[in-house]
Amino acid sequence: MNQFQYSRPTKQQAAIDAVAKDPNAAFIAGGTNLVDLMKRGVTSPQKLVDINRLPLGKIESQNNGLRIGALALNSAVAEDRQVREKQPLLALALNAGASPQLRNMATVGGNMLQRTRCAYFYDTTMPCNKRQPGTGCGALEGVNRMHAIFGFSDKCIAVHPSDMSVALVALDAVVQVSGPKGNRSIPFADFHRLPGDTPEKDTNLTPGELITAVDVPDGPFTKHVHYQKVRERASYAFALLSVAAALDIDGSNIIKAARLAMGGVAHKPWRLTTAEQMLVGKPATEETFRQAADVAMQGAKSFKYNAYKLKLGPNAIVQALKTAAAA
Amino acid sequence: MKTPEKQIGAPMDRVDGRLKVTGAATYSAEYELPGITYAVLVGSTITKGRITGIDSKAAERAPGVLAVITHFNSPKVPGFDTAGKDPSQPATVGGPIKIFHDDKIRFNDQPIAIVVADTLERARFAARLVKGQYAPEKHQTNLEASKPQAFLPTSAKKNPKNPMNDYQRGKTDAYKAGAIKLEQDYVIPTEVHHPMELQAITAHWEAPDRLTIYDKTQGTMATRRDFAKEWGLPEENVKVIATFVGGAFGNALHSWPHESAAIMAAKVVNRPVKLMLTREQMFTMVGYRPYTWQKIGMSATADGKITAITHESIGQTSSYEEFTESTLAQTRMMYQSPNLTTRYRLASLDIGSPIWMRGPGEATGAFALESAMDEMAHQLGIDPLEFRLRNYTDTDPENGKPWSTKFLKECYQLGADRIGWNKRQLKPGSVRDGDWQVGYGMGVGTFGAHRGAATVGAQLLPNGTVLLQCATTDIGPGTGTVMTQIAADTLGMDPQKIRFELGNSSFPKAGTQGGSSTVNSVGPATQQACLALKDKLRQLAAVGSAAFASAKKEDIILTDGYLTLASNSTARVPYAELLKQAGGTAVAVEAKPDGAGQKYSMYSFSVHFAEVLVHVLTGEVRVSKLVSCADAGTIINEKTAANQMKGGAVGGIGMALMEHAIIDDRYGRYITKDFADYHVPVNADSPDIQVAFVNQPDPYVNALGTKGIGEIATIGVAPAIANAVFNATGKRVRELPITPDKLV
Amino acid sequence: MNTEPENASPHDDSRRTFLKQSTLLTAMALVPGPVVSAAEAKLDERVAEAIEQVPLSLKVNGKKLKLSVEPRTTLLDLLREQLHLNGTKKGCDYGQCGACTVHVDGQRVNSCLSFAVMHDGKEITTIEGLADGDKLHPMQEAFVKHDGFQCGYCTPGQIMSAVACVREGHAGSEGEIREYMSGNICRCGAYSNIVAAIQDVKKGGQKV
Repeated sequence: MNQFQYSRPTKQQAAIDAVAKDPNAAFIAGGTNLVDLMKRGVTSPQKLVDINRLPLGKIESQNNGLRIGALALNSAVAEDRQVREKQPLLALALNAGASPQLRNMATVGGNMLQRTRCAYFYDTTMPCNKRQPGTGCGALEGVNRMHAIFGFSDKCIAVHPSDMSVALVALDAVVQVSGPKGNRSIPFADFHRLPGDTPEKDTNLTPGELITAVDVPDGPFTKHVHYQKVRERASYAFALLSVAAALDIDGSNIIKAARLAMGGVAHKPWRLTTAEQMLVGKPATEETFRQAADVAMQGAKSFKYNAYKLKLGPNAIVQALKTAAAA
Repeated sequence: MKTPEKQIGAPMDRVDGRLKVTGAATYSAEYELPGITYAVLVGSTITKGRITGIDSKAAERAPGVLAVITHFNSPKVPGFDTAGKDPSQPATVGGPIKIFHDDKIRFNDQPIAIVVADTLERARFAARLVKGQYAPEKHQTNLEASKPQAFLPTSAKKNPKNPMNDYQRGKTDAYKAGAIKLEQDYVIPTEVHHPMELQAITAHWEAPDRLTIYDKTQGTMATRRDFAKEWGLPEENVKVIATFVGGAFGNALHSWPHESAAIMAAKVVNRPVKLMLTREQMFTMVGYRPYTWQKIGMSATADGKITAITHESIGQTSSYEEFTESTLAQTRMMYQSPNLTTRYRLASLDIGSPIWMRGPGEATGAFALESAMDEMAHQLGIDPLEFRLRNYTDTDPENGKPWSTKFLKECYQLGADRIGWNKRQLKPGSVRDGDWQVGYGMGVGTFGAHRGAATVGAQLLPNGTVLLQCATTDIGPGTGTVMTQIAADTLGMDPQKIRFELGNSSFPKAGTQGGSSTVNSVGPATQQACLALKDKLRQLAAVGSAAFASAKKEDIILTDGYLTLASNSTARVPYAELLKQAGGTAVAVEAKPDGAGQKYSMYSFSVHFAEVLVHVLTGEVRVSKLVSCADAGTIINEKTAANQMKGGAVGGIGMALMEHAIIDDRYGRYITKDFADYHVPVNADSPDIQVAFVNQPDPYVNALGTKGIGEIATIGVAPAIANAVFNATGKRVRELPITPDKLV
Repeated sequence: MNTEPENASPHDDSRRTFLKQSTLLTAMALVPGPVVSAAEAKLDERVAEAIEQVPLSLKVNGKKLKLSVEPRTTLLDLLREQLHLNGTKKGCDYGQCGACTVHVDGQRVNSCLSFAVMHDGKEITTIEGLADGDKLHPMQEAFVKHDGFQCGYCTPGQIMSAVACVREGHAGSEGEIREYMSGNICRCGAYSNIVAAIQDVKKGGQKV
């Protein structure tokens, strides 16, 4: 790993300035992904701005929702009483991710900003448009069993690996950012990008912008929720794909509101709004869920090694909805 | 005086447990030597071809860098000119890579340079600055594409008695004429040992002709021999220390290029060099279980008698070494089939050499054989356990010899009772528990009860304790612990007063820890050394005591401060007296196999029963229950032995459900590079594994009655799980691992 | 680097040193091109060391330390290679095995995935700091009793994780223990015995 300059500002503005001014600077919080990428030479920032001393770790109730500080640890959010009561789906998704040790390090902001686990991105000797624009996509004709079935381009078929983000996109979260030009809010669904011709850009953050918090609006999804993660071992593995499901069901088993999103299928957490709309007003039965799953999968396309996702995807949706309804 | 309790068979705590739980156990990268330096390897980025240049200038100028060694500036290694000349040498024919010796690239990530610096961070940084230039050639890393070029191993061609030759009893491929038959292909992907300790070595030239290495090795003597040869040194000038080995599972059975590189680097910088591989490098340069294609043809009568089996396999090896393993051994001896054909072939690929991985070829072969047994039982509509019983053999059908001992039927019974085999439904897919399908499966394992020569040294120390020494290693089974138990019983002493030292090539010699042979070999040496020590003490005591002069060695008792006799407690000689005499108390005894293997077929046996749950929608498989039963002869330590069995079962879960190293053949590079891509089982993948031992001594392998555990703990587990998945779902997966994509 | 205990000798005021170095770094930043690597800037060794080291105060196993480290030094490498606390193991270096688990301010973390300098002012507990002198921690005792290991390499990480698992209240059932111990890989496969050890400690009710 290269040497880098290290600073640890205690003022948010100082941190933003330090990164905004220098294209080779980066924020570091938990470090669980950045340190890994630096060790392998995938990224080599020359200046690290440690933001851990900024006061951004609180979880608080406000304006009909929860405001979760960007530096709140994944474990702290998953264990937080208010989160568990108001947004149990978020707690489930967080606990499905990584390991207890990593959840004690990883922050909410960092979790959103983690990079793809695509093997071609990680190996600096292989082509990857995300790591090195213009070199091609190694996965397109390669071993692409972990790769996207939605929203990909011929430049990149990588998927976003976060579990937490799948729940947040389903819950209509809003990302609060602060940058050289002031503060702004970004709806979670617009935070991450599709690869298009610029797969090197994972998000719509501009240089120097710092995530300060994520707002999760209160909603009716306090009971019938489930995070279905399908992986190759029982724990501590990235998803083959995952489904975040939240239902509001009335006394006669009719769905009043629904939220559905998938992970491991696209360059961003993949919200399934058409399927959600289809679910509303229908009885919460397996038959309904199967119909929603079919709707959800419309437009999915597979590559040589990930055709199984076309079958696993709808099955996982049905399972997630079934479990949520029974919760 | 109170007779000490019998230690053999007792669940004694490990003698090195305290060191391991306090972090005080020292592994090979943890020796504090003055002036230590750090080395990092630079790997090739092509798979085959030539190095045309290496730009190392920036690395050489980087802060703290002491040396950058490549084939352009490497020192002369005397052994490189003579090594690998004899292609008939088992077990790895050919020769290992001669590091930094020429411009040839034989596999991707082959080391092209080693960078040495004063700190680890600086060495790592500088290593990234080294850039190789290459003239690439067309490579092949895919076994399926190389099957047409598969060949009989050279060792078999040269020696008709070599077990890698084709085997035949009865008629060739007789299954083809059978009325009830099956013919199926089975595939095991490349699996990697991945012990938790990364391969590491600390190399220290204590003088220009004296080398000490602290190394991750399963055999201190073998490692010493290899590097003495490489550097043209007398063996006694090379010392190999491996007091603690953080797992190995076979990957430290071979001397690898990184070890040579570190030794060379230490020579060049004239300071101790520490080299620890990265997890990526653990895939490419320290061996793996080879991708193996197998085909089984089997025929049987309607009443469940096997009439013929043909088992063929093609395993991958490297372009520079012929690695072979006993993939087909179990098929030749497990079931009473009058017609049996086996054919073993290799395919050379542009990839590093494989090396035996736990349960080695037998585990690979058992996946095919035991899956096929299950398929045939299903085809016949017979319970798979009953089918195996109908084909049980009381003599070795491969050579007609009697078994030394075989308690496999007892294992079947123990296991069937514990798993609740009677709950198993003959018709697959008929049991469901909520969203999960439930199934039961079994798999049988066997492995030769191997024994080699070993020497143990024993001496009485002035404080009344006994010190035993042997060059053997302990990669995890608890060797020091069980030897202490054997010594305690033989000496009639409190085990607390016995210390068994191992992992040092300067100690009395022993073979490599591998092939489940350590207790079989070192155990009797320990026993005999302790008896010799007693006799020696008796002789020394006899000088001043008539009672001892006529005593038998079995009568000798070692107490806290003096020697006495069981038959006469008034006869006493203080240890101080004995130790005063010239020559000291030290004895060393070599114990050798007595040739019983000529008369008997000697094997350990195991059977594994699995209960699995398969999710109806996601295809995820969970092993909900696993019962492993073994006929491994005498169990010296019930606690460590059961632990070893459980560990082998967990390894089998990995093999069955998740382990799969994948190469992108376009580049010849692994795309699984770490534990995020290459999954090994975590705690949540493991059920509470039940273990049962028959615990009957084998009278022929050695005087202790042991047969070996390490391999049979894993062999047969993967097919037990695959068979249970079939029973749960009706889906037969013949290519491991059984990941959700194959079941959904 | 030096590792003198805080009270052994007067040490430069760390803040002042830090500022001084920051100033030097800022000045260096005016040199065209990347300056963080002394090699690329063609600086001599002495200058390289000066700009490449930053001060760090840590309390490790109860002992206060004033250190000077490169920012790129991970907590794991600091512990192993500079503080000679080799009980904390390197099993993957990417946060994928748990062998490097230590407690930072009482929380279990992977020491391989953070830079040491990020823990300035924090309290680190490693396996060497768990026992009370010669008296083993109950979890260490239980691991020996239940044979919760074979080769021993993952063991320090398992034990640090196990202690945290109980303290966090995640040792309520076998299933919960297995899930909350899944961040620690044991390739020898001693999982069942590890779970037994944790259950024993949990049931024993000793203070962990």
